Amino acid sequence: MKIGSFEELVLLAVGSLGDEAYGVSVKELLKEKTGKNPSIGALHSALYRLEDKGFLESYEGGATTERGGRRKKYYQITSEGKEAIKEVNKLRIEFSKNIKGLNLGLDEF
Amino acid sequence: MNSKKTTEPPKWADRILKAFCNEQVIETLQGDLYELYNFRRKLGSKLSADVGFVFDMLSVIRPFALKKFFISKNSSSMSMYKNYLKVSWRNLLRHRMYSTIKIGGLSIGIAVCILISLFVIDELGHDKDFPNVDQLYRLVNVWDQPGQVEKWESCQPMIADMMKSEFPEIENAGRLIPYSGWSFAGSNQVRRAGRLQNAYEEGFAYMDQELFEMLGFTMIYGNRSTALSEPNSMVISEAKAEKYFPGENPVGKMIILDEQEDRPWTIGGVMENPASNNHIEFDFLLTLTSEEFWKGEQTSFCCSNYATYFKVDKEADIHALEKKLAELYVSSYVPYLQERGDVEADDVGKYWAFLLQPIQDIYLRSERIHDSFQHSDIKKVWMFGSIAIFILLLACINFINLSTAKSANRAKEVGLRKVVGSFKSDLIKQFLTESTFISLVAVILGVLLAWIFVPFFNTISGKVLIMPFGTWWFFPSCLLLALIVGLIAGVYPSFYLSAFRPIEVLKGKLSLGTKTSRLRGGMVVFQFTCSVILIVGSMVVYRQMSFILNKDVGFSKEQVVLIEGANTLEKRLELFQDRLLKDPHVLNVTASSYLPITGSKRDLNTFWKEGKKKVDKGIGAQIWRVDDDYINTLGMELIAGRDFDKTSNRDSASLIINETFARELGLDSPIGARIVNWQSWTVIGVVKDFHFESMRGEIGGLGLASGRFGSVVPVKIKTEDMKATLASITAVWDEFMPNQPIRYSFMDEVFKNMYEDVLRTRNVFFVFAVLAIIVACLGLFALSSFMVEQRIKEISIRKVLGASASLIFTLLTSDFLKLIGISLILAIPASYFLMESWLEDFEYRTNLDWMIFCGAGCVIVVIALLTISFESLKAAFINPSVGLRSE
Repeated sequence: MKIGSFEELVLLAVGSLGDEAYGVSVKELLKEKTGKNPSIGALHSALYRLEDKGFLESYEGGATTERGGRRKKYYQITSEGKEAIKEVNKLRIEFSKNIKGLNLGLDEF
Repeated sequence: MNSKKTTEPPKWADRILKAFCNEQVIETLQGDLYELYNFRRKLGSKLSADVGFVFDMLSVIRPFALKKFFISKNSSSMSMYKNYLKVSWRNLLRHRMYSTIKIGGLSIGIAVCILISLFVIDELGHDKDFPNVDQLYRLVNVWDQPGQVEKWESCQPMIADMMKSEFPEIENAGRLIPYSGWSFAGSNQVRRAGRLQNAYEEGFAYMDQELFEMLGFTMIYGNRSTALSEPNSMVISEAKAEKYFPGENPVGKMIILDEQEDRPWTIGGVMENPASNNHIEFDFLLTLTSEEFWKGEQTSFCCSNYATYFKVDKEADIHALEKKLAELYVSSYVPYLQERGDVEADDVGKYWAFLLQPIQDIYLRSERIHDSFQHSDIKKVWMFGSIAIFILLLACINFINLSTAKSANRAKEVGLRKVVGSFKSDLIKQFLTESTFISLVAVILGVLLAWIFVPFFNTISGKVLIMPFGTWWFFPSCLLLALIVGLIAGVYPSFYLSAFRPIEVLKGKLSLGTKTSRLRGGMVVFQFTCSVILIVGSMVVYRQMSFILNKDVGFSKEQVVLIEGANTLEKRLELFQDRLLKDPHVLNVTASSYLPITGSKRDLNTFWKEGKKKVDKGIGAQIWRVDDDYINTLGMELIAGRDFDKTSNRDSASLIINETFARELGLDSPIGARIVNWQSWTVIGVVKDFHFESMRGEIGGLGLASGRFGSVVPVKIKTEDMKATLASITAVWDEFMPNQPIRYSFMDEVFKNMYEDVLRTRNVFFVFAVLAIIVACLGLFALSSFMVEQRIKEISIRKVLGASASLIFTLLTSDFLKLIGISLILAIPASYFLMESWLEDFEYRTNLDWMIFCGAGCVIVVIALLTISFESLKAAFINPSVGLRSE
């Protein structure tokens, strides 16, 4: 299934946040890593799409005073989601390998 | 933690959020938004958190979050809107001529509106870009005597420092000398030290380091806080730096002005090129640090030559400060006057006031303040703005008139829609959609038109406008314009059309639009009233213009070449003049910096009759240093006494005065009278009054004193061979000044330039008048041809029964001519009052006579008649069988 570049970033962020992935935390992580500040609407829109596609699953969690007593919606990456990330990365690495003189620097990780 | 305090985002935004979002998402979304809100609230102000909340709220209005209700309802009404657009499109295509007129008229109106808006935005944007612009003020002197109020900007040299040290509200103060001809201010010959070739440059002014910092010019090289702090330092603009020091950092390098090698100027910095929308627009700023133009000048109250600017504390009460400034000023100025025995000392205490004029107001709101800057006028901006709106209204009226007139054609559709279940509200929606659609098309065309005509508009308005396609606000405001115009133009027709009763309409009872309804007539009257006013306006402006240009100004401006920048000749000036006189093409030569043209050098002095200095009030008059051939060369008329004596030196203290000055001095026999300013003079002649400033103001007092120096050499030449004359003058100049290219202009052209703003107003008026007439005629044409279409059967029957072509023509045109007549009756008094008030600004003005109104009336009647008769004549000569065939 197709995945857009912003969706991919959101997916990666949700995956790397583990059990702590909900709207605000994903937004903060994206802001920290990419330097761009996605609007909360765009983010939720992407989260819903990813859930529809089956890459994410959600469950409802605790409320705090800061949230005016509203519950959080936590997201978790599914196995399909992980598969999608794998596929995207595979494609990228395959292409990048063919660029002469480009050192991907994968050993660093 | 106080939970109440932490969750207070704007309620209205929260309500919108709830209204839009479905239940599945609202809980999490609201939670996230609140969390973000509180996060921002901790970081910054409530305002920024509120704004952030509103943006977040807007960002979540997306399909995933919307209630089902919006999505489902949207999709069904969407298809209705599609149908409305389809029907509108078909209607546009079916009546091509009417559609073209509707859309064409509207797009002309919109194009005018866009151009004028750009003009207005540009005018209003002057002097807004300085840092802390709200705190910057210019000090304006006010002489507030009942019946004799005067305002001017120039202050004595020490006022800036005096006020700054006395009042803590004044954070900073700085001075400026923008007056052309004041030492190096204005224009000079410029060369880089070490080079020979001079170039002529304009845009010099003196400025304090403090003012330079206050105005916050962006620096390319050098430091803003020290650029002008050294004596003899100067700041130049980027363009001039590139000209004289290409590819180098000019800081620390030297420049020679007017060949004065003993006084080189050091470049202290390079600033960005001055913006054309600043009133302070100079390329060369010379420092005032330790500058003293004569001994004791800086500490003397004698002379006011400094424009003074303040940076005032944000909290300061400006009115109170103005009062305090005046008190302090009076308390130090009056003793100075008393010491000198000046009779004005008491009046100064009574009538002196200060005005702190915000720097942003200088360009548009300096009416009746004497200064040396170019100004526009807020009234002119309003006038142009209202003209634009009127033309747009005219175009909207075309739309309304045509839509209601052609309602019969849409009546069946309305009937049918109602029969199959359409509500009135749906029909209103339909027609509003239609008009908005049409206005959107018109806006797109209008933007294109405006874009095409920007260069033309720039030439007539003297602006450098560009279409702001790149700005974020342009397209949204165009969209808004389309909506507004769509609503204005569509609201009446949509209510009118949607009110048809289906039974009557479908029965065919409805025969609307055969006669001009009262409303439609009223609108035509309105259109033509506007057109007539604009025609009269442009005719009056045109007349006033030619009146000024052709009025006897009291000197001869034809065949006079002005050689400029001749001050560098110094002692060889006389030799140069003699050489020119030997030229057979040349009739007369003189020299002076003072010319009867606005913008040349001026020197206002106060005079008294001798021995009355301590008794009488002083009389203000210009004193001009001119050479002995001045009156001869410029063709002024000496009405009493004699001219300067060329052969001797006896006229060093002689004065030739003009009639006004003689009258103001109250001299019965002026010849031989003795008057004083800082020296005493003997009046030897009286010259007939001539206009030495724009004709807006009265002729002031003037005295001519003999003195052979000046920067301009006016040369009176013979008419025959202009080319050869100029060539031989140039040759003589090059012989004297090989390193300075000659600069000359023609006096009649310079004179014309004085009235450039009037010329521009004339052109703009003319263009608007033409546009208004075009729009009005488009409407009239469409309306008349529609009437003919509706009455074609009536006409055919009349013809069959023997009516002549002329009778039918009269029948068809008389209705419209009546309307035109009414608009003439309305327009003539209105335009009379408008133009009277415009002419009041001029001291010397043309008259409004009946010829103008007659002319305008004839023009409009002829144009209207031509417009109507195109279709009416076709109808008058129609073959009746064609009109009756279908029955």
